[in-house]
Amino acid sequence: MGKIMTVDVLSSIKGAQPSEAVNKLFEVIKNANTSNNTFNSNHNNSVPLDDLRDDVVIESSAVEKQIIIENFPKEKNGFLVVSKVIEE
Amino acid sequence: MDSQIHKIHQQLVNKEITCTALVQDKLKSLKQNTNNTVNALLDNLALNLAAKVDAKIAQGESIGLLEGIPFGIKDVYMVQGTLTTASSELLKNYKSAYTATAIQKLLDAGAIPLVKENCDSFGHGSSSENTIFGAVKNAINPDLVGGGSSGGSAVNVAKDYTVFSIGGDTGGSVRQPAGYNNVYGLKPTYGRISRYGLMAYASSTDCVGPIAKSIEDIRIVLNVMSGKDQKDQTTYASAEIAQDAISDAKDIKTVGYFKNFIENDAIDAQIKSDFLSAIEKIKAQGIQVKALDFFESNTLVSTYYTLAMAETASNLSRLDGTNYGNRIEAENLKETYAVTRSENFSEETKRRIVGGNQVLSQGFSDEIYLKGLNLRDQISENFENDFKEVDIIISPVTPNIPPKIGDSLKDPLAMYLSDAYTVGFSLGQLPTLTVPQGTATGLQITAAKNNDELVLKFANFLKDTI
Repeated sequence: MGKIMTVDVLSSIKGAQPSEAVNKLFEVIKNANTSNNTFNSNHNNSVPLDDLRDDVVIESSAVEKQIIIENFPKEKNGFLVVSKVIEE
Repeated sequence: MDSQIHKIHQQLVNKEITCTALVQDKLKSLKQNTNNTVNALLDNLALNLAAKVDAKIAQGESIGLLEGIPFGIKDVYMVQGTLTTASSELLKNYKSAYTATAIQKLLDAGAIPLVKENCDSFGHGSSSENTIFGAVKNAINPDLVGGGSSGGSAVNVAKDYTVFSIGGDTGGSVRQPAGYNNVYGLKPTYGRISRYGLMAYASSTDCVGPIAKSIEDIRIVLNVMSGKDQKDQTTYASAEIAQDAISDAKDIKTVGYFKNFIENDAIDAQIKSDFLSAIEKIKAQGIQVKALDFFESNTLVSTYYTLAMAETASNLSRLDGTNYGNRIEAENLKETYAVTRSENFSEETKRRIVGGNQVLSQGFSDEIYLKGLNLRDQISENFENDFKEVDIIISPVTPNIPPKIGDSLKDPLAMYLSDAYTVGFSLGQLPTLTVPQGTATGLQITAAKNNDELVLKFANFLKDTI
């Protein structure tokens, strides 16, 4: 770690560069005034403990499983094939 | 009372039309349309469902209000077994494995899905030009854009190809195309309708929203889709909005508008004068109108895009050709991800992902992302204070009339700034409705959180007032 990662690496997009239009938006934020308010209504989206959904495994329907397999790019001998894992 | 849903329901019940003929007619119009609103037709599914409705009526069984009513679905919603492309190259062949909660509720009520509708890829755009299916053309003037990102949905409703359509609104994507095509479009309070099965763009502002030709149809569809859903834990339980609860607006005493939305150089002169004359007509009804202070457009747009880009960079990271999407093989996994994403994402989507990763990266997150969150809190606080003073806030939907097709793609910054009047309400998670009145691109009506009923009530009042 400690290596500087450029945006193209972070984004997994070849040759990606920050755009001028987007940088202009960021400049506005950098120059804006922040407040030390305690108001934080947007952080109230948490779920009460009593409301958490049950921690159970829900079996997918046969048709759901079939479509998931159909969506997978490659299959070989009944297995879904992923790309070669990075060795580094 | 205007309502296409009630009208068609009566025609079906009275056997003046058959559901099959209705659906065939709509499918034909969709197939022949030259506005590029269609990504995929659901003809077999729709005709099978229509035949069932006809059989029920023939047997003398009663049908529900939405039973047999044809509707459209923005192509970012999962509908089991249908292609769900988000108008992108990456998901061109992706088939939904399950159905979104909001759509399932409509199907359970008997509504008939006709079409997956064209939109900006992953909701990234304000013109419905960022799509592999061709730019959506405006319903009123086909040289102009259809608006975005739910452009195909708004145009289909305006052209009567669908009775109503379900769009998605993250920063104005239902309200702006509704305004550009002169129909109604509602962004409900965040969390009123489940997002489960809506492809995520920016999760903290993504909302499911109906588009229709009347307030009554918006009410009916909103009621059906609303409710708490275990699969989206940001949802909350809400009471049904009754028809007679929104017919009388006597309790609305004070309306506010943001001074700086109107007093600036960016707003079209005609939109400005039309908006001010709408204000006068409201005053003439004995309602007190207050001019309110608000954040600069620049700040609103920058805060919204900073946070939305950060969220979309995270949400779209799963689209790598292994978890989802058309894979392009390269020498190893990392390269496969990079080539797949580089080749399959549009320029606008890449711009937003890169922007999002910029703000989230070390050294920038404090300066930009956390500051953006702080600004969002200030904006929300401003709204809280405003709604202590006024019942309703009204605003124009857009500063200008729809641009010509091709213009927005040339100037992304101008496109971002065109969202100035819609994004603030998204950040505040407030219920906001576009009505096709007042200015060339309509008016927005906003109320405090969870007060969607008051928005519809004021819309009914405006219908009779201006």
